[in-house]
Amino acid sequence: MMLLSDKENSASKFFILTAVFWLVVGMTLGLTGAIEFVAPDASTGYGPLTFSRIRPTHVNTVAFGWLSMANIGIVLYIVPTLTKVKLFNEKLANFVCVVWNLAILLGVGCLVHGYSEGREYAEYPVPIDVMVLIGLLSLSYVIYMTVIQRKVKKLYVSLWYILGAFFWMPIVYFIGNRTFVRLDGLNDAIVNWFYGHNILGMWFTTLGVGIAYYMIPKLSGKPLWSHSLSMLGFWTIAFFYAPTGTHHILQAPVPEWLKALAVVFSVALVIPVITVLTNFFMTMKGSWWQLANNLPLRFVLTGALFYLFTCIQGPFQATRSINWYIHFTQWVPGHAHAALLGTFTFFNFGAIYYILPRILGRQFYSVGLAKAHYWFTFIGFNIFYFVFTVIGLIQASGWQQGMEVSQWSIALEPYWFYRAFGGALMWFGNVLFLINVFMTWRGAKPLDPPDEEPAMSVKRTGA
Amino acid sequence: MNKNYILPGFVILVSFSLIIFTTVLLPHFIFHPEPSEYAVEYTELEAKGRDVYRREGCVYCHSQFVRLQDRGFGPLVEAGDYVYDTPNLLGTIRTGPDLSNEGGKHPDAWHKAHFINPRTITPGSIMPPFVHLKEDDMEALIAYVQSLGKKRLKKYDRIYRPDEYVAKLEKRTVDVNSSAAANAGRGIFQQNCATCHGTHGLGNGPNAIALAKKPANFSRPFYKDYDDVTWFWRVSEGVPGTRMPQWRKKLTDEQMWYLVAFLKTLPRVNEVYPHSYETLEPDKWLEQLKASEAELNSEPKAMLIETQGPPPMAGGGH
Repeated sequence: MMLLSDKENSASKFFILTAVFWLVVGMTLGLTGAIEFVAPDASTGYGPLTFSRIRPTHVNTVAFGWLSMANIGIVLYIVPTLTKVKLFNEKLANFVCVVWNLAILLGVGCLVHGYSEGREYAEYPVPIDVMVLIGLLSLSYVIYMTVIQRKVKKLYVSLWYILGAFFWMPIVYFIGNRTFVRLDGLNDAIVNWFYGHNILGMWFTTLGVGIAYYMIPKLSGKPLWSHSLSMLGFWTIAFFYAPTGTHHILQAPVPEWLKALAVVFSVALVIPVITVLTNFFMTMKGSWWQLANNLPLRFVLTGALFYLFTCIQGPFQATRSINWYIHFTQWVPGHAHAALLGTFTFFNFGAIYYILPRILGRQFYSVGLAKAHYWFTFIGFNIFYFVFTVIGLIQASGWQQGMEVSQWSIALEPYWFYRAFGGALMWFGNVLFLINVFMTWRGAKPLDPPDEEPAMSVKRTGA
Repeated sequence: MNKNYILPGFVILVSFSLIIFTTVLLPHFIFHPEPSEYAVEYTELEAKGRDVYRREGCVYCHSQFVRLQDRGFGPLVEAGDYVYDTPNLLGTIRTGPDLSNEGGKHPDAWHKAHFINPRTITPGSIMPPFVHLKEDDMEALIAYVQSLGKKRLKKYDRIYRPDEYVAKLEKRTVDVNSSAAANAGRGIFQQNCATCHGTHGLGNGPNAIALAKKPANFSRPFYKDYDDVTWFWRVSEGVPGTRMPQWRKKLTDEQMWYLVAFLKTLPRVNEVYPHSYETLEPDKWLEQLKASEAELNSEPKAMLIETQGPPPMAGGGH
């Protein structure tokens, strides 16, 4: 335990730095997969490089290695600032970070070599599940204890979201990865998708929205538009999100009442989305000009824009008539990327650009690199998302017209290339991000004068 | 703890337990489909193959349930079909075809060749090669794929098999080895096939340039292994996924047999390969290689004269 630091915000720093590393690893895996759609023989018969092994590795690495760890790193910074007390147990949080990094590393190794449980989003083998769960429970303990000891009486809405996420996620993760209860085929699928959708709804969404609720007022310097509306958003998410998982298998022979439940609640999710976005955009009312020179805010609001797209798409594609058309196509991964990459990853970028200088107590290494990061990621993602959607529509019409797969699949050839191209742009932007974060961490002298980008400087918008 | 937060905390707790009860526990209690007559209890080999299927991640591109709107994927599935399928391999993405009724559609050798290099069997496919599978894993995987929906198919029997065409041999009135029949076939070929396959069957007819999947080049050694029935089946049923039509809708059986007679006379490509399996021994093969090269170099390349301009395009498999 000698290695584990007790310094304030050390866990947050550790989580964020390693998360950025895993982001680049995960995106490299994703890009490899995308390239294999263009050049299917690229794996040259080497098992671990085969697309079907790369895909679960990519999903798990970006979901647990990047997004979860970055979220946690940011949360570990936000919670003490909102409660005005030190983190309850910094050492434990640092320990969790070590365990998680180990788990993700093992996970990459296991999944590319085919040691997978075969259930989507729950592919990690049992030992890694145990490690992840230990991490989650310890973090829940740390965060709940911090909040209980708080010096601010009222809970800000971000804390509600964070507390909710750390209550739901350990339960959801446990249910999703219970391998000791063997269920028959379709029951297994039902539980699998309860987990598969709730890891998005009760973890990434709640943490992501909580972070955005903290970041937007902080970065724009304006008070939150409506606290009561934010609470409505929280409670509707809490009620409506959890039963929606079955919409992933809406056309499989599972019980109809379960499907009906999933569809009704999926559509009801429009309510939290509209409340959250109304709140964000009304908070920004009259200060949209800040987007011009406030880079972290630009990241967060771009995320909010993609949140609008993805969350209007989501409820509608869960209805039976639209699901009938677009299910099984690349439209759906496009939607998933819009949520996890377009929205929550962008929230995290903004938050990291704001938080990392404050934790390290020095300027970001390069504002120019950060700008390049924004534009590469933003343009790359737009291409990527649009192409995913187009591919989905082509595939859907292929299925609908009863055409042979091999007949419409050849029409997709150029689109696989465009998709890989968009992905490559994002990948490049995030390599720049990794360099920028690494140089900042190593304490390299900032390239640009600190006052050029007000929001990225430590002094001007103090925490 | 502040008393103001006890009620919200309680509400979260109750609502979430309620949700878990309805969506996780309730289906577990009340949804127990009986094994249907199509549910497959896997043999040891098939179960191993299922493990390979899961390990290799086939599920990320191939689903295992036929929906109402899917045409050409065989009979629909029922809840009871999946009783023995744990972990579930339903899938959520179809980058490739649905596999619920895949068993029996193709022979084992087809699957093996397809796993080793999918593009030799289905041109244009983007499936990765699974050449890294060990021999026993490959065997198991093929056994599993052949088990998919095999009971459904036995009942519905909707699939064409070249076996059905074996019966056609009995009614055949044409001697496909006679030059008269080949000559008759030539005319039919020039009228119907040459626009795509070219006058010499090299797959370079005028239409070929406009086709995403190039027409077959019959001079490739591959086609020299076709027997009469395979030729007849191919011509009558066409090639799904390409522009090759089902000629049985236009030609009579007799005409198609003439065509087969002609197709069998098409020469193989000017390419060196062992004449017979006896010569597969390296030393003999080298000898023969030299002999063939000399032979080819001395021959006037009659076939290639007409293909000046665009080079002969490789036909895609079949």
